[in-house]
Amino acid sequence: MTTVAEELGGALEAPALMRVERVTKEFGGLVAVSDVSVDVPTRSIVSLIGPNGAGKTTLFNMLTGLYRPTSGRIVLGERDITRARPDVITGLGVARTFQNIRLFGAMSALENVMIGHHSRMRAGFAGSVLRTPRVRREEREVRERARELLDYVGVRHDAFDRLAVQLSYGDQRRVEIARALAAEPSLLLLDEPTAGMNPQESAALTGFMRRLRDELNLTILLIEHDMKVVMDVSERITVLDHGTKIAEGAPADVRASDRVIEAYLGKQD
Amino acid sequence: MSELRAQLQEWREAIAALVPSWLARRWSRWLAGALIVIGIVLPFFFAPASGFLNATIIALAYVVMALGLNVVVGFAGLLDLGYVAFYAFGAYAVGWFGSGFFFNAHIHVLSSALGTAPGIHLNFVLILLCAIGITSVAGTIIGLPTLRLRGDYIAIVTLAFGEIIGVVAVNGTSIHLGGGETLTAGNLGISALDLPYFPGIGNFTLLDLRPWYWLIFVIVLIVLFVNLRLRDSRIGRAWIALREDEIAAVSMGIPLVRTKLMAYAIGAAFGGMSGVFLGAYATTVNASQFAFSFSIFVLAMIIVGGLGSIWGAVLGALLLSYINYYLIPDVLNSLPRTFGLNFDLTQLSFGIFGFLLVLVMVLRPQGLFPERRRRLELTAEIAAEDAQLVEAGTPTAGAA
Amino acid sequence: MSAITARTSIRASAERPLALLRRYVGRWGLYVALAALPVYYGVHDLSHGYAVGVAHGQPLMRHDLSQLGFNLVEGISNGAIWALIAMGYTLVYGIIELINFAHGDVFTMGSFTAVSFWGTLGLTIGTSTLGLIGGLVLTLIVAMLVCGSLNVLIERVAYRPLRNAPKLAPLITAVGFSFILQNVGLLWQGGSPVGVSDLIQENNAVFHISGVIVHRADVLAVAVMVPLVVLLAWFITSTRPGRAMRATAQDPEAARLMGINVNHTISLTFLIGGMLAGAAGLVYALYETTVWYFQGFEAGLIAFTAAVMGGIGNVRGAVLGGLLIGCIQQLSDSRLGPQWTEAVVFGYLILVMTLQPRGLLGEETREAG
Repeated sequence: MTTVAEELGGALEAPALMRVERVTKEFGGLVAVSDVSVDVPTRSIVSLIGPNGAGKTTLFNMLTGLYRPTSGRIVLGERDITRARPDVITGLGVARTFQNIRLFGAMSALENVMIGHHSRMRAGFAGSVLRTPRVRREEREVRERARELLDYVGVRHDAFDRLAVQLSYGDQRRVEIARALAAEPSLLLLDEPTAGMNPQESAALTGFMRRLRDELNLTILLIEHDMKVVMDVSERITVLDHGTKIAEGAPADVRASDRVIEAYLGKQD
Repeated sequence: MSELRAQLQEWREAIAALVPSWLARRWSRWLAGALIVIGIVLPFFFAPASGFLNATIIALAYVVMALGLNVVVGFAGLLDLGYVAFYAFGAYAVGWFGSGFFFNAHIHVLSSALGTAPGIHLNFVLILLCAIGITSVAGTIIGLPTLRLRGDYIAIVTLAFGEIIGVVAVNGTSIHLGGGETLTAGNLGISALDLPYFPGIGNFTLLDLRPWYWLIFVIVLIVLFVNLRLRDSRIGRAWIALREDEIAAVSMGIPLVRTKLMAYAIGAAFGGMSGVFLGAYATTVNASQFAFSFSIFVLAMIIVGGLGSIWGAVLGALLLSYINYYLIPDVLNSLPRTFGLNFDLTQLSFGIFGFLLVLVMVLRPQGLFPERRRRLELTAEIAAEDAQLVEAGTPTAGAA
Repeated sequence: MSAITARTSIRASAERPLALLRRYVGRWGLYVALAALPVYYGVHDLSHGYAVGVAHGQPLMRHDLSQLGFNLVEGISNGAIWALIAMGYTLVYGIIELINFAHGDVFTMGSFTAVSFWGTLGLTIGTSTLGLIGGLVLTLIVAMLVCGSLNVLIERVAYRPLRNAPKLAPLITAVGFSFILQNVGLLWQGGSPVGVSDLIQENNAVFHISGVIVHRADVLAVAVMVPLVVLLAWFITSTRPGRAMRATAQDPEAARLMGINVNHTISLTFLIGGMLAGAAGLVYALYETTVWYFQGFEAGLIAFTAAVMGGIGNVRGAVLGGLLIGCIQQLSDSRLGPQWTEAVVFGYLILVMTLQPRGLLGEETREAG
């Protein structure tokens, strides 16, 4: 297995899929994110780490259009998505999972994943009511694709039609990823995907993320607290603290950085 | 507890084994077919002007209303307390386009009115289409200000719109459209509405309720059909997603504004259709028909029936409509006398109705025929525990 | 955890010039719109004048602001009654997120109770002033206690069992109870409005403010409302049960973990809400000198509108909303005609909700979603 350092050489030369340029977010008097710039190279796995309250999820929310930056720019490919609506951004190829799993409780696992495909589907009112051949085919294909995705993420077949609220925690996490994948993204944002997992499960997820990058050509940006996972899977790490970027670079460099250690452990006298 | 469940399961399987396979495989289709047949032949068992038939016709009209409101409140989760507005628009569509109200005009299209009569007289189906157009637009306009509001604020804004339209209906006599015509006839009402006319069937009359019954029955079937198709489609899933978790939904690519407005528009259209029917059936369009209590009544129907559930809405509408328009007036009237009491039970009709609402809600808060999720919520805890036990027992990949 | 809190909406504000402009126009536009009616009619009265009678076949015109002042005085005193009811609405909503549709009918019961009680006491127009004041204070206490208990009973029977039910279920039980109470009222006082003795001779002038007459009725309404509002504010901020109410409204789970008895706190909230409705009922009976079994329906609707306009869950907002709507109603009644008043009030509500979705003084008390 190649180390991240060896992989590093190739990935960092690739053009950036997403560029975050000097983004700031203020809520009234509170500055949650301040002047943060991040480049996410195509087909890379980048981690966003930092102590609690550092502004990581706020940044994610800005990347997906849930918040609008107070200042700064976010560029996806060639397109400025700073002020774009969340559903438009999803349509452009950005999908995410949430820190506290947000599945649609009233729907089955399968239906949840089918929802992920909404932006890629074309069925409208008339087509849905009349069930034209095109709509019927689309539904069939979307349903098939959803089953494939659930399979791909490792959900058992008998769980497909279970309501989301009935699934185990691990399965819920898997379904959420499948749902995000259903949007056919080029950039996948994972918010603390290993929360609540044991070491074996985390290791499995790490391998899974590499598969996503290699098999599905995905770029992955993840927020993580599990340092083992971060060090293992990341090609680059960006560290936030109190809303500002305090370090960035290869895992080895970040691990050795004084500022990062200080942020996590506090100043040493 | 699990032995009980196992026992029940055994019984269920035993009974199921008795049913012939051709029936079992498609039992829901057979049930639907049976219900439709019953629905069609029902009027033949009653006198042409029977009170029960009248109550059933009204109940079916309310079924359409309930199905419409169910789209807005049940599927999309938008608490609309102003649904009476669409009833009003539908009824006024008949008043405007199916009577001599606009006496300066002279338009006749396949109508039952005399060719010489003034006014706009369109065929019933055309009026229906007009009403759908008007109410869809109205629904969209009413929905627009609510898009960024949270749940209960949507309630008050839609309520406000409903009230404003009610006020306009009452005071429409002072809104002049030129040439002596006014917008509405206020509380006096627009009367002498055209009776429906269908080429090949002839004119409806007020003496024979059966054609009315079949008309509303057909409308119910159409609305049910559209509802069922929508629920299991891309847009139906989008509504439920928005209802469950708006933030997750938009993050999954569901366009907020378009999807919500569509719910409002479609729900409004159904309300308008029923409004057209009710207006024609009552043969008068009176501003006093459009009060806030109507909106609450329809809302109660879908909540009692089971919010979000299509069959729940049907059941709730039939139940509350029958209780209110048939059971309480007709049956309760005669009840005390059979007991030798000289008490006017209709004086208690309000309270009895209210009591029944409280009773149903306290006993079965998820509704009589709830959506899949609520029904399963009760067994969800058990199933989730089971699932977690299975998970714990299965060796995970990568373990030593 | 950094969950998406309710303080931000999906389209949170960007501090760019255009958005800033929109935000300020929104807020100031709202204030302009609210002030528009009185300002317009004030100017109209000053320039064109208004008729105060006929002299020698010609309308007698005056060019001052006293008619406007009269409108506003009436508006505030009417609004005080709405404010009392609205406070009850907003307290209950703040703590369990329920629109208590039965609240208006509790108010009706308050009026009926008050009228029956002072009848039992034997209060008439001829009673001495001292006796009248004493009797009415006693009636106030009785009405408040009866309505408070009624509200607590309703909570216990209709809402507590549904605490974990789907959110709209308690709404329907509230409607059911509304019907039940209306029926009780129907049986108690009949279907038509019932005249009530004008005990305080409400139309007697008490004093003048630069030409505007303030009647006894106006003083009564404000004199009952103000101490109750002050008392409530003190209670909520400075007493333990009051703080428990606030804590439970913000986060019931956390409150429970802190040792607060959530059930008792909720019952207390209903008790206070009911008491306020009872007080409003008494004032209404003396003010309008008629009572009607259906009065709570309209009152409830207005009070709910007032609570939302001020920001639901916010007590000061409820008071502000009530007073505002009272004034809007008076201005609309006297200038545009009472047949349009309801539409005007609701039009204003839509305006407020469009320009300031959280209400005039609104703040989120719960995490959204």
